[in-house]
Amino acid sequence: MASKLLASTLRRTLTKATASSTTTHHLSTAVTAAPAFDSFEDDQNGITMKGVKIAGRPLYLDMQATTPVDPRVLDAMLPFLLSRYGNAHSRTHLFGWESDLAVETARSQISELIGASPKEIIFTSGATESNNISIKGVMHFYKDKKRHVITTQTEHKCVLDSCRHLQQEGFEITYLPVRSDGIVDLDELRAAIRPDTGLISVMAVNNEIGVIQPMEEIGEICKEFKIPFHTDAAQALGKIPIDVEKWNVSLMSLSGHKIYGPKGIGALYMRRRPRIRVEPLINGGGQERGIRSGTLATPLIVGFGSACEIAKKEMDYDHKRVMALTDRLLNGIREKIDGVVINGSMERRYAGNLNLSFAYVEGESLLMGLKEVAVSSGSACTSASLEPSYVLRALGVDEDMAHTSIRFGVGRFTTEAEIDRAIELTVNQVVKLREMSPLYEMVKEGIDIKQIQWSQH
Amino acid sequence: MASRTEIFGLYRSLLRTARDLCDYNIREYTKRRTTDGFRQNQKLTDPDSILLAYEEGKNQLALAKRQSVVYSLYVPKVKSVMELDDAAITTN
Repeated sequence: MASKLLASTLRRTLTKATASSTTTHHLSTAVTAAPAFDSFEDDQNGITMKGVKIAGRPLYLDMQATTPVDPRVLDAMLPFLLSRYGNAHSRTHLFGWESDLAVETARSQISELIGASPKEIIFTSGATESNNISIKGVMHFYKDKKRHVITTQTEHKCVLDSCRHLQQEGFEITYLPVRSDGIVDLDELRAAIRPDTGLISVMAVNNEIGVIQPMEEIGEICKEFKIPFHTDAAQALGKIPIDVEKWNVSLMSLSGHKIYGPKGIGALYMRRRPRIRVEPLINGGGQERGIRSGTLATPLIVGFGSACEIAKKEMDYDHKRVMALTDRLLNGIREKIDGVVINGSMERRYAGNLNLSFAYVEGESLLMGLKEVAVSSGSACTSASLEPSYVLRALGVDEDMAHTSIRFGVGRFTTEAEIDRAIELTVNQVVKLREMSPLYEMVKEGIDIKQIQWSQH
Repeated sequence: MASRTEIFGLYRSLLRTARDLCDYNIREYTKRRTTDGFRQNQKLTDPDSILLAYEEGKNQLALAKRQSVVYSLYVPKVKSVMELDDAAITTN
């Protein structure tokens, strides 16, 4: 392993050395070129990476992993990366005042999108941090009386891992199963509640399969039992209407880079009436009312605020478009090949997330073959492993179908031509892989592959 | 009150700026959003809201021009597959 690493590093250094020597030869042209940074691009004729050569930059259909920054967002951010560099906490000069004003404007832009008060918004580094503060912070604060947390099996890794952490400290966690459509059973939720339940955490829109949980109903249950309700709304913000009053959430995690804003910024909504309290994870100068110390990242916050304002204005327009494109994608694929299954509920889902399983095809081979389409098999956090997604397993999807899942994420900047190209490439690849597959041949001959006894070697 | 000529001028300027954007997705979006926005605002009759929409359009044009410059400074060496001829794409 170590020798392999050494060899690859050596190879990279050697190629870099030759590349830089060629730039010195053509110094006159290099002056006008964009600043050099490490990238996979080698020449105008294409990109070589990880031994794969492609002619151009792939078309991007992975909007659940992250979204491109909207040019309107960048336009709002740039002044704060240039001359307006003040620390928003500086009280003695203009630099501080203008940054502070910009931060407060962003705070109200965000609160308007979710129907909250600006005072209820705490800036964090992203939804992962917000989730950590919510789960660990609330439980640590109320630890004397409350020892139990309810969450679901399909939550994001950072929620599950925070819960695991609490378990090691002696708290008890209930991981609710979901139905085969990915939705939480409300009766099971109700049954899981105990007198010492201190928090219920259910995500709004699932990052892998895009299903929308019944937030208002869960909020009602939480209100009835007077239990704080936390939701991870990173995938929901700006895509479905959010109203913290209707949902009755006490805490909500938000993220900037899922709504065409910058990475590295997020927010935590914390209800003031009735007041919810948390123990901070990060201690320091007492910024953000002591809940999240550290200098505010003014440019990122301005970008996040601007992204929220645009999302509010464009929600209807974007939604109509995303829905039309997803329909086009699904119908286009289904017209040409059979054995395509949608993972998760069809009725309760965010249109921009289409998680499909292709029967009799191996998922990794399909992803490798689709090198001109940037898609993923599920969450970006777990896409490095060959294990099938735990979300699909929680849905009860068969092992073979869970292995072939692909998540198509459509967004604001996706075009019809990209969808058509994605359909063409996906269909070609699936047909090609099925031609090679002995399983598909057997199914065509009428053999039920579920009945086959595979012998183990 | 913005005249018909002024409004059409703004529409054409926006489309021209959009066409020069380097990024495939941003370019297509700007063109589409411009056309859809003007089509939607065609129904406006109230002079105040027409003026408001016109001012908004002018701001968006200034923004698009600025961002067009920014994008042009950092163009990736390799284009999007969507901008290449079908023949150029390896179909292995």
